[in-house]
Amino acid sequence: MSEPIDRKTVESVARLARIDLPEDQIDDTASKLGDVLTYIGQLEQVELPDDVEPFFGAIESVNAIRPDQLTDSVDREQILSNAPDADGEFYQVPPVL
Amino acid sequence: MSETFTSPQFDQATRDAVSNDDVTVIIGLEVHVQLDTESKLFCGCSTEFGAPPNTQTCAVCTGMPGSLPVINERALQLSIKTGLALNCEIARYTKWDRKNYFYPDLPKGYQISQFDKPICGQGYLDITAPKGEFEPRRVELERAHLEEDAGKSMHDESQRGGNSKIDLNRTGTPLLEIVTKPDMRSPAEARAFLTELKLILTYIGVSDCNMQHGNLRCDGNVNLHIKVGGEKIATPIVEIKNMNSFRAAERALGYEAGRQLKLWKQNGKTIADAPKQTRGWNDADQVTTPQREKEESADYRYFPDPDLIAVTIEESEIESIKKEIGRLPAQWRELLIKEHGLKPYDAGVMVGQGAEVVEYFLVVAQGCGNSKMASNWVGQEVLRFLNESGEAIDAYPVSADQMTELLTKVNAGELDQTRAKEVLQEMIDSKIEVQAAMDKLGIKAVDNSEIESLCRQLIDENPDVIQQIKDGNGKAVGALIGKSRKLNPNANPGLVKDTILKMIGA
Ligand SMILES: [Zn+2]
Repeated sequence: MSEPIDRKTVESVARLARIDLPEDQIDDTASKLGDVLTYIGQLEQVELPDDVEPFFGAIESVNAIRPDQLTDSVDREQILSNAPDADGEFYQVPPVL
Repeated sequence: MSETFTSPQFDQATRDAVSNDDVTVIIGLEVHVQLDTESKLFCGCSTEFGAPPNTQTCAVCTGMPGSLPVINERALQLSIKTGLALNCEIARYTKWDRKNYFYPDLPKGYQISQFDKPICGQGYLDITAPKGEFEPRRVELERAHLEEDAGKSMHDESQRGGNSKIDLNRTGTPLLEIVTKPDMRSPAEARAFLTELKLILTYIGVSDCNMQHGNLRCDGNVNLHIKVGGEKIATPIVEIKNMNSFRAAERALGYEAGRQLKLWKQNGKTIADAPKQTRGWNDADQVTTPQREKEESADYRYFPDPDLIAVTIEESEIESIKKEIGRLPAQWRELLIKEHGLKPYDAGVMVGQGAEVVEYFLVVAQGCGNSKMASNWVGQEVLRFLNESGEAIDAYPVSADQMTELLTKVNAGELDQTRAKEVLQEMIDSKIEVQAAMDKLGIKAVDNSEIESLCRQLIDENPDVIQQIKDGNGKAVGALIGKSRKLNPNANPGLVKDTILKMIGA
């Protein structure tokens, strides 16, 4: 069984995800995330036969592959129009160090 | 790391007593190679370098909601080819994961990379020192995984806090990240590894490895193992970024090793006392400087990318790619040494020039029937021209067939080396073939009776030189060769020398 999630972990995950989590929601979030982990912990306890292969994704099929061929890119003016700020050539973002 | 290190505190005097012989430099490298595809890893946008900013992007590579990545077949094939050339295990099942972090040149907020099922597993690369600077070494490879590149940020350098500009053309370009184990023991070994790796990648044609275009980038991890007071300690590991040439890499690693030793002598801190640090190489000042750590940057929270499905690789596909790999640089060197009699150093220089130069040499060597002569001419005349002009072999004005014709004449004694070099120069200057160049220089065959009368004249006109030769000064004959050249530049000096010696019975 996983340990319940503490406030510090919640704050750290929120910071990594750039989510501004109000102080009064931290405990509630910790308890909800803890529930998820508890559920996963239950799944981990299911006994499986030894010959079951590990499973890495929700889709069973494999090999959706495309040939190395060019397709048209999107017009610059159009794609830059999605951005909050652009100068006609580049996206503009606040200064990054 | 399997070795364990103690973390004792040594006093200043003990630390100061440590000499360079007690210190081993430990280096591991991470090399990003841009694979030579037309289109990006997960979309059909072009990977061509140098296009106007933001003209090679689409919904997929800019991370628009609802867009779906689909993997590029050639990127997979080139990865497998690279893995095979580097003796890697090739995965039969490989998948992609999201590496989560925020940076303006990463529009999706994650990079599609590979976490636990990389396309290439463990392998190795053998390195040797061309001039014996270090013992031959096998550098083990940890893995090589296929991931997408990020975009390019341009920051305001004016210190006035202007906006950063982002170009996403490069976003989604396929990169193979090759990770070594910490197996190199000196900056020279690291440089040799990078040089050999680049050579292999260009020989098998998976990347042009153009470092100016960022198509080969390299980061290094370095620390020191120090024997002190009967124990062995390790200094904190430093990752060096921004080593933008092999020479820079060698210098950066050397500088960093020296810095770590000095720092440890000052503060005694070991790997147990400090986390891994990131530093950047400053080529202008020739120093490494600390880079600001992205907060909790190591916590990438990898998870399988739900937009992509796994790829299985069949044995038959691996076998067919194996057949496309020609001789690797090490095999070419061996061939040149064993079958063409080249010295190891010369073979290294020739192979280091690329497959086209080796092929040129082979045509000439086989055509003129004298490998040694071909190696001298290609190694000296051709490579000097290429070095001076900065051109590739396909721009060399004399074709392999024409070079063969020229050397065949030298081999048959029809031209001596000096004359042949004049002919070669004329061929290059006037862009003409061997015979035309010889005609232009007035070179024609000299028959035996002409040689004999020439030698008779030389003997009659130079009695003191002949006396010197008869007295045992063999070198004196050189003076006659010089005069022979003036009387008849077409006379073969070797033949003139032999004829004179025969005539005077010396
Ligand atoms: Zn695209």
